[in-house]
Amino acid sequence: MSPLERLLRVARDFWVATFFLLFVPACGGPAIAEWTYVCGTAPLSAKAAQAPGVCGAGDPNLPPEPTFPTDICQELTSNKSFPDENNLDSARIQAALTGCKGRTVKLVSNGHNNAFIAGHLNIDSVILWVDAGTTLFASLNAELYQKTGSCGVPGINDSGACNDFITMSGTRPGIVGDGIIDGQAGEPLVGHDYSWWQLSGALREINGSIGNPTLINTASNTTGVLLYRITLHDPPKFHVKLTSVPPNGICERKGDGYIVWGITILTPRRYINSQGLFMTPHFARNTDGVDPGTTDIATCGVIACNTISTSDDQIAIKGGHWVSDLIIAHNHFGTGHGMSIGSETYGTYISPDGKQHRGVEDVLVYDLTIDGDSRAVGHDSSSADSNGIRVKSDPSRGGLVTNITFRDVCMRDQANAILVSTAYNPLFPGNLIPEFGTLNFENVRHVTCMELKQPVVTLEGYSARSRAGPIKLDNVVIDNMGPQAVAAEFADIRLGPGRTNFVPSGTGVVVTNEMTGNGPAKECVFPKLPAPELPPDWLR
Amino acid sequence: MVRIRFRYVAPAIALLLAAIGGACSSEIAVNGSCAIDSDPALACGLAADGTFDASLGLVGYSCTGKARPDEQAMYNEGVPSGIMCADRGPVGSDGKQGYCCTTAATQCAYDPVSDCEQPTYGYQCYGANRPESVNTAIFCGQGVKEGDYINYCCSGKQQPDGCLQSDSVRCSPRLSGWSCTGQNHPRAEQLGANKSRADTYHLLCPVPVPAANPAYNNYCCYPAALVPIGGSCVEHRGVPGCASGRFGFACYGPDKPQENYLPMRCTEPGFPGRSAEGYPATLYCCDFT
Repeated sequence: MSPLERLLRVARDFWVATFFLLFVPACGGPAIAEWTYVCGTAPLSAKAAQAPGVCGAGDPNLPPEPTFPTDICQELTSNKSFPDENNLDSARIQAALTGCKGRTVKLVSNGHNNAFIAGHLNIDSVILWVDAGTTLFASLNAELYQKTGSCGVPGINDSGACNDFITMSGTRPGIVGDGIIDGQAGEPLVGHDYSWWQLSGALREINGSIGNPTLINTASNTTGVLLYRITLHDPPKFHVKLTSVPPNGICERKGDGYIVWGITILTPRRYINSQGLFMTPHFARNTDGVDPGTTDIATCGVIACNTISTSDDQIAIKGGHWVSDLIIAHNHFGTGHGMSIGSETYGTYISPDGKQHRGVEDVLVYDLTIDGDSRAVGHDSSSADSNGIRVKSDPSRGGLVTNITFRDVCMRDQANAILVSTAYNPLFPGNLIPEFGTLNFENVRHVTCMELKQPVVTLEGYSARSRAGPIKLDNVVIDNMGPQAVAAEFADIRLGPGRTNFVPSGTGVVVTNEMTGNGPAKECVFPKLPAPELPPDWLR
Repeated sequence: MVRIRFRYVAPAIALLLAAIGGACSSEIAVNGSCAIDSDPALACGLAADGTFDASLGLVGYSCTGKARPDEQAMYNEGVPSGIMCADRGPVGSDGKQGYCCTTAATQCAYDPVSDCEQPTYGYQCYGANRPESVNTAIFCGQGVKEGDYINYCCSGKQQPDGCLQSDSVRCSPRLSGWSCTGQNHPRAEQLGANKSRADTYHLLCPVPVPAANPAYNNYCCYPAALVPIGGSCVEHRGVPGCASGRFGFACYGPDKPQENYLPMRCTEPGFPGRSAEGYPATLYCCDFT
């Protein structure tokens, strides 16, 4: 343990002890016999766990790990060592991508020259390979992404203002490699003294939606998307929006629709930008990690062996069209707003066989760690920014969420360990009541290290007429939580067979207790996650 | 500790004074009274199949005069507490009004002095539940935050939106098209399910353009930019001489609309007049660019 960690731990213990000695007995607060701590990290880093042939090997649910392509159509060599806005590579990269459909374009370094910089790029039925040691930067010239005239303009609530940095489309497009794609969104835009994130932050007060470019988006009707091993930093807005289905429309094996395997997302990538601004995750607003289903349907996918540490949802499954048959396995999350489903859940889709599909169905999440302690998130963040698992919608959206399983999940220091809510914001009116069906939580544990507050569990259907469930809790253990930290209503909840250390109760809650054993809670270890390098004069 | 808000104390004092005064008068103002009523016409607590469902926690009331079953709401340490009722209109032939109410207290209080437009009435609520969650017979509009509370305007009947976001209304790409009946104005809460859900998101709409169907007006509205702190220009659809499709503003201060809303272009000078609320202001007619 480093001196800093020791100091923080002593301070934490002092404040926890003081809090409980002084306040809890006096106000009749939650009775927690003993506050337990699970700190430290596993010997194996998340990055090492992602090594080829290690993660996911032998997992029968998954397809074989992807490999790098062998059919290189063009290799482009860097001619610069920094993202020079006066020497863009857009034209030559796009020309290569356009001329190499069905094959691969590889970006490589040449000694100290290891940078490429471009504006909007289309990856249509081609694979872009960013080689190890090479970085593809997104230009900071907003005019290169201009769509409606509002791109890069402050104070405009126009979510469609900009084109994407990269748009993938067609058949089996991909982005692979051990290199980096960097959106530079914390740095000032060309000709301005503000950054993409400052544009977004300016609309935080009105919950407005800035039209910043998405780092990687996919067009409707794209099939067989592949993202493999690439590292992504600092998108103006969202890292990856996924819309992809199997080329033949049939999900014969998970991954036929899309595969995201072994990628690393770290945003912000630095603590301090070139202007000296402190860039915490809270500063990087609207930077979801991977969002299947945002633009159109996404089916038959695998998201495996990834490390994601960002500001917004690490993964957000958007059911505004239809998402189904998705496996999310062997992933490690750092900072972010959670492993989320919704709030878009209203989608309907009629497949060619005439069958209607809705919302989010048939999702299996397993072997997941979510660690809130990997770095500071920013003094102005709120508890709503710190979530483990959440499934959310509201009556203005409606839709179906069912047959979802979260299995073997370890979380640390999240304000909301589990949140299931059919009306996550009570301001929104409507009569499209969300239908939350079968939600399974198996071998789930939340532990505490640095956090001083109890984690909260929320399991809420909408009303006596519109209940949620069955919500199955099988060996779900939330450390350091008292009964007051469990909110439940209008839900059918089944406990067991494994032990769950809380019994939800509330208006309209029906609990079926089938717990049979008193077995051990899931053992949790958290790998060391990638984090920005500390500035040289900081304590470490 | 039980704290009763002044706005509930004031009517009680008034009622007491009226009662005292009534001792000397033959005309006593009486609000009326309410009683539990199992009249099936109230359709209270019915499940989808038409049978009574006790788990919904609803009970029928009928009231005489202006009485309501939910008037006795309290605030306990700042948390509202009272039953919540959906109005059911006249019951029977003796002029009684019917209500379908929760059997248990909710964290909402009937608000006798709300700004809700008829036929809706107000509740002030605390916590994460919308009123429809606790009383499945009621329909409420967009919640409006007031400190720790959320205010709702509700009714036992769903109120028509009056406006519909419509792609068939042709607008520039940065504006959203709306079609509204009569004098209704677009509101962000009426955005489709696929649109952003913003707590305080508001629209800036121009002078309406009459649709082919005379019952409707069309609007091309701008999802408004942040107004700088101190900005004083507000939307005003009644600026004299401002043609359909143009944006009218009333500015209370020396600032101009284009300083508050960047895409506005106001080439004509402002002139003195009154805002839609009736206060002196400089009026502008502008175009979206």
